[in-house]
Amino acid sequence: MTGYLIRRLGTAIIVVLGIILVTFLMLHIVAPSPAQTVLGPKATPAAISAWNHTNGFDRPWYSQFGTYLNNLLHGNLGWSYKLNQTVDSLFKEKAPLSGFLSLTSLVVAIAVALPLGIFQAVKRNSFGDVSATTLAFVFYSMPVFLVALLLIQVFALSLGWVDANVPQDQSLSGALAHFKDLILPIVALATTAVASYSRYQRSSSLDVLAQDYIKVARAKGLSERLVFSRHLVRNASLPMITLIGLSLPVLIGGNVLIEYAFNINGLGLMFVNALSNDDYNVLMAYTLITAILTVIGNLVADVCLTLSDPRIKLV
Amino acid sequence: MAPLLEVENLTTHIQLSRSVVRPVENVSFHLKAGETLGLVGESGCGKSMTGLSLMGLLPPGGRVLEESSIRLAGRELVGLPDSEWRGIRGNEIAMVFQDPMSSLDPTKTIGYQVAEPVRLHRGASKAEAMERAAEVLALVGLPRPKERLSDYPHQLSGGLRQRVMIAMALACEPKVLIADEPTTALDVTIQAQILTLLADLKDRLGMSMILITHDMGVVAGHADRINVMYAGRIAETTTTDRLFAGMRHPYTQGLLASIPRLAQDNTQRLYTIPGLPPDLSDPPAGCRFAARCTHATDRCRTEEPELTGSEDSHRFACWHPVDGALPPATVSVEKSAPAEGAGADEAPANRPLLEVVDLVKEFPVGGGLRRGKVSVKAVSGVSLSLGAGQTFGLVGESGCGKTTLGRMIVGLDKPDSGRVTLEGTQIDALHGRELRRHRRDLQMMFQDPYSSLDPRMRVGAILREPLQIQGIGTAKEQTDRVKELLGEVGLPTSALERFPHEFSGGQRQRIGLARALTLNPKVIVADEPVSALDVSIRAQVLNLMKRLQASHGMSYVVISHDLAVVKYLADRIGVMYLGKMVEVGSGQDIYERAAHPYTAGLLEAIPIPEPEVERGKRGGGIKGELPSPLAPPSGCRFRTRCPFAQDKCAEEEPLPRLFGDGHVAACHFPLQTPVERSAHSSDATGGAPGTSTGKAEGEATAAV
Repeated sequence: MTGYLIRRLGTAIIVVLGIILVTFLMLHIVAPSPAQTVLGPKATPAAISAWNHTNGFDRPWYSQFGTYLNNLLHGNLGWSYKLNQTVDSLFKEKAPLSGFLSLTSLVVAIAVALPLGIFQAVKRNSFGDVSATTLAFVFYSMPVFLVALLLIQVFALSLGWVDANVPQDQSLSGALAHFKDLILPIVALATTAVASYSRYQRSSSLDVLAQDYIKVARAKGLSERLVFSRHLVRNASLPMITLIGLSLPVLIGGNVLIEYAFNINGLGLMFVNALSNDDYNVLMAYTLITAILTVIGNLVADVCLTLSDPRIKLV
Repeated sequence: MAPLLEVENLTTHIQLSRSVVRPVENVSFHLKAGETLGLVGESGCGKSMTGLSLMGLLPPGGRVLEESSIRLAGRELVGLPDSEWRGIRGNEIAMVFQDPMSSLDPTKTIGYQVAEPVRLHRGASKAEAMERAAEVLALVGLPRPKERLSDYPHQLSGGLRQRVMIAMALACEPKVLIADEPTTALDVTIQAQILTLLADLKDRLGMSMILITHDMGVVAGHADRINVMYAGRIAETTTTDRLFAGMRHPYTQGLLASIPRLAQDNTQRLYTIPGLPPDLSDPPAGCRFAARCTHATDRCRTEEPELTGSEDSHRFACWHPVDGALPPATVSVEKSAPAEGAGADEAPANRPLLEVVDLVKEFPVGGGLRRGKVSVKAVSGVSLSLGAGQTFGLVGESGCGKTTLGRMIVGLDKPDSGRVTLEGTQIDALHGRELRRHRRDLQMMFQDPYSSLDPRMRVGAILREPLQIQGIGTAKEQTDRVKELLGEVGLPTSALERFPHEFSGGQRQRIGLARALTLNPKVIVADEPVSALDVSIRAQVLNLMKRLQASHGMSYVVISHDLAVVKYLADRIGVMYLGKMVEVGSGQDIYERAAHPYTAGLLEAIPIPEPEVERGKRGGGIKGELPSPLAPPSGCRFRTRCPFAQDKCAEEEPLPRLFGDGHVAACHFPLQTPVERSAHSSDATGGAPGTSTGKAEGEATAAV
């Protein structure tokens, strides 16, 4: 197990380095320097080249990349020329709230989707199953911001249960003071996840229900409740572990749209703004975080799978 | 004394979305304490559904009709609420299912799973239940049961898992044990062990047993009485001895006659029951077997025969009963002259069509740093040869390497060393276009007719594909060829436009055979061609394979775990054990003069549908299980299970020795006396010089 983890971490580092390199190159091909954005549309060519020289943007790309990597190794994510702040401090400010939204919605999604999928499989083709399936398809096919807008319209504007204006406080503690107003973004994020997880959980439960060991469990005289709790739940949830591990970065991606729709001052919104501003270092940092999350999600999923499925051994 | 279990007019319906299937109708029988009742019939005859009805475990939509009655020790079970049924299931009636690989929960330890019913029905504590689990596991012969309580199912072999299943069923000492095809998924040597175990446990615990099987050989040795079922009804019922001594129903007769027997004369065609069992959502009027019965008259088609006679007599539901088993068939299969039209005339007469020399194949296991260090020794130096128009049969337990050998012969796997030669061309050295061109001479027929045909291709397209790939003929010629093929395998031309799922298993296997035939190959490797089929269908496919060989003159390599099937089809048989060929000889050599103890053990383990013979062999057969192919035993690989093994067997690998013309076995202590002249002298009698590496086995094989 230890040897396996070391090997996996080694591969993970190579993967992350590769992603950094590719992103770096792509950004530099699309827009070799952020000078124009920083200095404004009226900047003279002389001013631009002077700015480039001062900030090192006239050096060859590999030299710039070397500097970037070196900074990265020292924990320095660079400087946002647009926001005039270090990227580190930007992330420190915005990550807690975005992370909270993602994780809470993930937990809510799992808590709803797993039992729902099992219920649907057990009561296959019942009214409940068919309705849940229909809803899942509706929400799955609906863009996440549309879900957000509908939620705002119904629960904030029509019913008035929550405030349509989400707290603008960037700190987590400040936002939590108005937790009620965070419910809609969390629900919006969770809804799409529930729609897809419950489909997977349903089909994997159906597979397990068709297995002989379920028949054997019934033949032992176990009640349906015991058959399901002892022999169905764990087996049917195994495939979900990989799926959830892989969807960690997707949830972060979902944040982009949700933060935009609810006007939450988090990482997602920052990313959207950075995109239109050629804010190099912010874009790089965002990609880096997503890449690391993907790798970690995968690794954690594999470890969890090993712990819960005796057939799998990591070597 | 009243019988322990009385079943009267058991009728089961399963409600589907558009129809009602009646898998069991009006079935009545009694089971006495300590008795074993065999339920025999083809799949779909209602034998499993009868078992599930007795357990109250019908699939969704299934129910036992109210006029039915199931009385266990005087207590009526039909109509009981589910909570009371649960107290009976696993406690008073327990069931063992067919497939031990999928019947255990992979995420729970075997101790937990065996203890589960004890905790449930006896209210035992966890520790007490575990103790009981260890006790029952010891009873079913699991070695070191206490240490194995915390093992997971994947750590056990199929045979051990079935023992665990049996332990689970016996944990609460049920009065009745229903064993539903308990050995069908197991190897024949393990089957013999499990059946003996079941019989032994039944006597020791004083249970009654219902043994559900399709195999007349299994019931012959292990049942006291037999119910033959057909299309949801009992066709014939009596004691085992009376049934085999004088069967009265034509279906029983057909069922018995259509199994290839070891003693069978393989120049005779097998008896077949024509057609398929009826659709049970709309059963025919009159006798349900009438449509497939050679004795059927108008009365059979309109009036349904009842089971007549008293409970203990020989009862049968037939208007025109027959008397006793069918005599051996008399229609012979004529063998064509070999190599006719095969274009092999220019080859020297003594040159075999196909030669396999010293093939070795190992599959590395594990990845990363351990790659290449550990490997499964699938095939370790096997040689054989095959003449035009001949059939070579390969038998052995699963995991002995016979399928890998077959795949290497047709070029689907590359051997690590050794060679495969077809008419002088070394197949395994070919690449790209050359290989593709030679593939037309080597075709394969697969075991599972359900997964070997692309479900989204029409049958016409499936059969045409080989011609298209090889670029043979115009579209019109291809279509003509496909139609001709369908005719040859006995399917209507309307099949062209249909999809595989519209056909039965037997029909699909015919399509698989037609596909293998499309390119007029010289050799067809048939991997377990009939083991997925029902007994009556099996005979049809076997006859077809023989007939097509007679008319086309191609050679077969038939791979099967079933020695009787191989003996029926093959001119020569090779017995494989753990990657080695231990004995090669003609069918008669193997059956009558087996020299290797493994061959003899395999023969002993095969259930024969003759009660006296079967009962005589209880406890015989090969002990233990196949050792791991990762680290095969030193010297003779069979020594760990061999009753005659001595020190020499562990130190020295036995060389093949000659026991008669073309009869070779590799054993230090053979059951027959080897022929004096050395195996090498057979070289002169017709072996192909220079094609063998001195392995007497290969040369002796080539001699015939």
